[in-house]
Amino acid sequence: MLDSILLVDDENLFHLVFEDACSLLDISLNLMAIDNADAAENHFAGLVKNNKPKPDCIFVDLNIIGSSFDGIELVRRINFEHGDGVVIGIISSSDDEAEQAKAVKAGAQFWIIKSDEIEPRLEEFVKDLDGYKERTAPFKVYR
Amino acid sequence: MITLNDEIKEQLITLAAEKNIFLEGNITKLIDCESNLEFQNYIFKCISRDKENRKKRLDITKTIQEQNKALIEWKSHNEQLNKDLQAALTESEKAKQLAESDLDVLQKKTQNELVGSIVKVALWIICGVGTITSILFAATLFTGLENKTVESSWSNMFSILLTNSFSIVGTIMGVKYAGNKGAGRCPNCKKN
Repeated sequence: MLDSILLVDDENLFHLVFEDACSLLDISLNLMAIDNADAAENHFAGLVKNNKPKPDCIFVDLNIIGSSFDGIELVRRINFEHGDGVVIGIISSSDDEAEQAKAVKAGAQFWIIKSDEIEPRLEEFVKDLDGYKERTAPFKVYR
Repeated sequence: MITLNDEIKEQLITLAAEKNIFLEGNITKLIDCESNLEFQNYIFKCISRDKENRKKRLDITKTIQEQNKALIEWKSHNEQLNKDLQAALTESEKAKQLAESDLDVLQKKTQNELVGSIVKVALWIICGVGTITSILFAATLFTGLENKTVESSWSNMFSILLTNSFSIVGTIMGVKYAGNKGAGRCPNCKKN
């Protein structure tokens, strides 16, 4: 089980879906959800600056409406400007290979396709989690 | 893990039995049941209830998500339809204006031609008949013949021809401009 998860997604209803799915699957009991990429970056930078524990894993939506940059840019900033080996990836309804290639360059480790049945993909993701933590698992798309 | 003292455990069990109030949420997974079998059952029930509630909420949330998606698609579809309609209206308005403009040009051309022809014919008749009657009238004056008939003919010709020709031109011009300015203002059409 993960200690804590950060979800960055502009769709508040998905926050509920994700929280319930994570609790039901015993993935994590501690989920923080933010609906804006700018706020998420500030939050993460604050954790690093104040030496507070960082989330074990970050799930970032691709298009975060109301933000000044998209999910891939957030992944890049967390990875290259603030992060320190945090497991991070995209959770999106898009299955665009070009976007996935960009996400890999930005340092994303996984891509989960968001749909009605998110639970099986999360279950599969959890199985690969250790590989992501150790940075040995290759980039994977969970369809 | 959280360890509760026996008194609190008893209170929680009593609350559940008497008032059907249970702990819920992720905290139930963090409470250490130790070896208290009754409390273990209680926590098991709390977790089961919480799971059931979460499943229900998950289903409801997913349904709402689906409905939202459908609404968004519907809204987008309607917006596209509105745009298409607007574009069609604009196009038809342009076509209407063009048709009106073309009609106006055609009408003007036809009426100008018509007016031109009438004026020419009228002038030819006036000139022809006027010349003949003038010559006849002049001849009667110089020859001293009776000239009452020719005089009256000469006078009548001029008055009738001039009046009629300009009356025709005036009528055509009047119809033309009254048609342009008073379109759709016919008193009988007011109720439409």
